Amino acid sequence: MNQFVTLLVGGLFLGAIYSLVALGFVTVFKATHVINFAQGSVLLLGAYVIARLHESLGFWPAVAVGLLAAAACSVLIDVVLIRRIRRADLGTLAILTLGVDILLATELSRRIGTDVLNIGAPWGNHVTELFGIRVATSRVVAGCVAAVLVAGFWAAFKFTDWGIAMRSAAEDGETASLMGIRLNRVAAAAWALAGALAAVGGLFLTSFPAAGVTGGVGVLALACIPAVVLGGFDSPGGAVIGGLIIGVVSVLTAGYQEELSFLGRGLGGVAPFAVMLLVLLIRPSGLFGTRELTRV
Amino acid sequence: MRRLGLVAVVLAFAVAACGKGGADESAGGEAAGGEAAVKTGPGTTADTITLGYLPDLSGVFAPNGKAMMEGANLYWDAKNEAGGICGRQIKVSVQDTGYDPQKAVAAYQQLSGDVVGLGLVLGSSIVSALLPNVQQEGMFLNFAGWTSDILPNENVAIAGTTYDIEAINAVDFLLTQKGLKEGDTVGHLYFEGDYGENALKGSKFAADKHGLKLVEQKITPADQDMTGQVSAFKKAGVKAILFSAAPPQAASLAGLAASQKLDVPIVANGPGWTPQLLTTPAADALAANYHVVSSMAPLSVQSEGVTKFLSEYEAKFPEGTPSSNGSLYAYAGAQIADAALTKACENKDLTRKGVLDALHSLTALDTGGVVAGTLDFSDPASPPGNLVYIAKVSKEAPGGLEALGEPSQAADAEGYSF
Amino acid sequence: MSRRLAIYAVVIVALAAVPIWFESFWLQTGLFAMAAIIAAIGLTILVGIAGQLSLAHAFFVAVGAYGYAYLADKIPPLLAVVAAVLLAGLAGALFSPIAGRVRGIYLGLASLGLVFLGQHILQNATGITGGYRGIAVPPFSVLGFEFTGADGMVVLGVPYGPLEKLWYLGLVLVAVSLWYGRNLVRSRPGRALATVRDSEVAAATNGIDVVRYKAAAFTVSSMYAGLGGVLMALAFGRIVPESFGFLLSVDFLVMVVIGGAGSVGGAAAGAVFVTALPLILNHYSGSLPLLAEPGSGGVGAAELSRLLYGAAIVAVLLFARDGLAGLVHRKERVV
Repeated sequence: MNQFVTLLVGGLFLGAIYSLVALGFVTVFKATHVINFAQGSVLLLGAYVIARLHESLGFWPAVAVGLLAAAACSVLIDVVLIRRIRRADLGTLAILTLGVDILLATELSRRIGTDVLNIGAPWGNHVTELFGIRVATSRVVAGCVAAVLVAGFWAAFKFTDWGIAMRSAAEDGETASLMGIRLNRVAAAAWALAGALAAVGGLFLTSFPAAGVTGGVGVLALACIPAVVLGGFDSPGGAVIGGLIIGVVSVLTAGYQEELSFLGRGLGGVAPFAVMLLVLLIRPSGLFGTRELTRV
Repeated sequence: MRRLGLVAVVLAFAVAACGKGGADESAGGEAAGGEAAVKTGPGTTADTITLGYLPDLSGVFAPNGKAMMEGANLYWDAKNEAGGICGRQIKVSVQDTGYDPQKAVAAYQQLSGDVVGLGLVLGSSIVSALLPNVQQEGMFLNFAGWTSDILPNENVAIAGTTYDIEAINAVDFLLTQKGLKEGDTVGHLYFEGDYGENALKGSKFAADKHGLKLVEQKITPADQDMTGQVSAFKKAGVKAILFSAAPPQAASLAGLAASQKLDVPIVANGPGWTPQLLTTPAADALAANYHVVSSMAPLSVQSEGVTKFLSEYEAKFPEGTPSSNGSLYAYAGAQIADAALTKACENKDLTRKGVLDALHSLTALDTGGVVAGTLDFSDPASPPGNLVYIAKVSKEAPGGLEALGEPSQAADAEGYSF
Repeated sequence: MSRRLAIYAVVIVALAAVPIWFESFWLQTGLFAMAAIIAAIGLTILVGIAGQLSLAHAFFVAVGAYGYAYLADKIPPLLAVVAAVLLAGLAGALFSPIAGRVRGIYLGLASLGLVFLGQHILQNATGITGGYRGIAVPPFSVLGFEFTGADGMVVLGVPYGPLEKLWYLGLVLVAVSLWYGRNLVRSRPGRALATVRDSEVAAATNGIDVVRYKAAAFTVSSMYAGLGGVLMALAFGRIVPESFGFLLSVDFLVMVVIGGAGSVGGAAAGAVFVTALPLILNHYSGSLPLLAEPGSGGVGAAELSRLLYGAAIVAVLLFARDGLAGLVHRKERVV
């Protein structure tokens, strides 16, 4: 029982980080209908900048620069590339971001080399005790940050002009632009937000209990794809729930590997995808995604 | 327009119509010049010997691949400056595999005609894909991987002993030095694939032999967070942990174990260490409990070979000590290739077969302590070495590891069949 | 007409003569490209014609490759090829209930799950797949003619080994695949699929059984993947799970998209581009100036080839909106 609770809590905190990255995917998809495969290398960029600068600038300024760099990079992808072929189909846009991902990831992993860069967070390897369960402090911080960001995102989405513009752009881009909403601006803001969220995710995914920033960290964003699909690709709330589910599932399958060994070992990486397939069988548009209506 | 295309096609063929067959014809001929008595074949001319290198320079293991090429270039540059082998300069012909078997096979096809052997190949899936061709062409292949799955094999040379033997030695170390007793539970965290699963074979054997209960946790290189694994180990009440994965997982494992108050010794295979780990937040936890068992020397060992390697490294890269084990691995691989080529030269036979035969005639190759003990390549069914260094993490030692005593071998390893 | 025939004849003779002139690197690269062409035609039928985004193609390629490698020891290799292709088709048919329910982007990413499940099975079902060690691929033979170098066959002074012989097998398979693919696209079922892509409702009102057609598209596409997998396995000689991962699936989608979705010829061009470009860039990297020596730091040839690959994808998508196929058609119109 104790092990179950420990795993559950660990999974929820990991899931909170996934939620942030997944939220980035959804924001971009809602605003511009792009599956952004470059999210992983933007995440790596953010973490890399923080790890490189924290010694000279101090941790918090480095985080600020890292977030800005990731957001700027993300906006550049939209403005320089995506905007030129905005009307292209889903596959083309996805592959375009994939090309960008190859470029960015290659250059970043060349710079990182064999290094394991320390992210330099002030909470180091401290541990916090919550109701008798010992959890890495960085994960507790991540959980709080995620909660604040998600709440802020929700409020912004609901009440600000940008939120309204974004929602109407997602609903019907043409009408929205006729109503005076500048689609390009909405899109750029969404991409910036996604980049910053990725950087926050990167910061926590490379903090303790992970080792630090390595060239392979960008791949971690792949783990967020099942979260996004599970929740529903156009549902921010779904992304958060999906992230939590995926975090819990991957930690639980790892923790109960012995008991689940009849399914083959090393399930932690596959289980999220298996859960995703099962959910899609029952709900073809994810848990909270908009169902496609057939219009004649 | 169409006719133009046609002409282009014909021209392309005319231009490309060269070379094929040429390389094959010169194969097996005698080299002209002063040393006419030495038989030569593909990859050897009157003044050069070409070795093929197939590291990963653009895929997931690109950083290791680059470190390896540093080590290899270091060795061969020094060798060439000292006059080369058999009056010939050693030429290193490098092709990237990207850790992709498809690319590797194509890269192999590209260089195979012009090399006497493969100085280093990274990755067992790559080696598996290349073996049918390598065997057919009868060249030697220096495998940068220590898995006994590849045995028995006439063509493959391994620098030292294999992961399973390392794991057996690790268990022996825990029993004799760390107070592990019969009936205790031991965790083993390992990578999916040749490295981890080969080590698991060894730990299973040793656990059987000593009545230990083994708790297995298989992970993939993409897993960076060991929360679930550590929790499972803690629940099982493990008294020690064997580790056969990569440095990022090591930091996560050691750090989490400390945070969960799971204060047990961790013993890793060679690839589980990099000095960089001492800059991570888990440094203290690692220094307290982390050990490495490997036939490759820790950089703090004061042996002739390691000292020479370090001084050459510092001369070429003034920033200091190598950050990855890869360069030392490749350095050792080059030592083995050097010995085989030198022997082949004495035998006056620098053909591929001559070099392979020379390799198998080496029974007590001394690498100056770079690889533990002496290496015996005469039996293709067992690894050339059986000694290992056991080292403990130390923040003061160069390379972060301090050897505990001389290279040794566990008695259990004797009865182990590959 | 006769001029056209003459051109075909020249192309056929030229392709047939390749093994005599070109070194094994080019044959190996060519064989991988041919395997990719066959599989990519299958994917373009699914993605381009039927409008179903799939990232699972590597899984079906693996079914074909492993199916052949496992069976060819037990039954004659020719039968093993047929069985492997049918097996891949069956796998596709089994997945089609999901494909029938799930649409668009969800289908694309759901099918991605299949690749990861497939990797898990390949790594763990060691009895059939050999686990991480993979399995050796038995050589192909037909009517007693073996595709190995054992018979010491020599043509015009060039020794004919497995690569040279497989080259012709590859040519035949590619030709059949192209021919069948083109016919399928132009046939009644092909037009029906295109209607399904454009509007399922319109298709249904025209009496097209949408669910059945979607399932059929998935099955045919998987069979193409299986055949491509067989050729890939033969070109390798030994197959390991790593060859059939997520990146291969992505590569196939890249081939189809930059080739111009829905065009059989475009898919073939895309396949050659994606498969051969990195290999050829690597091949000539030694002769390009300004590159750092491998292992010496700086931008090495391997990284440059990866960067060029990424840049090429971006450039094709930005500047040739209809893919490579679009370029050709535009040119023809100008002429």
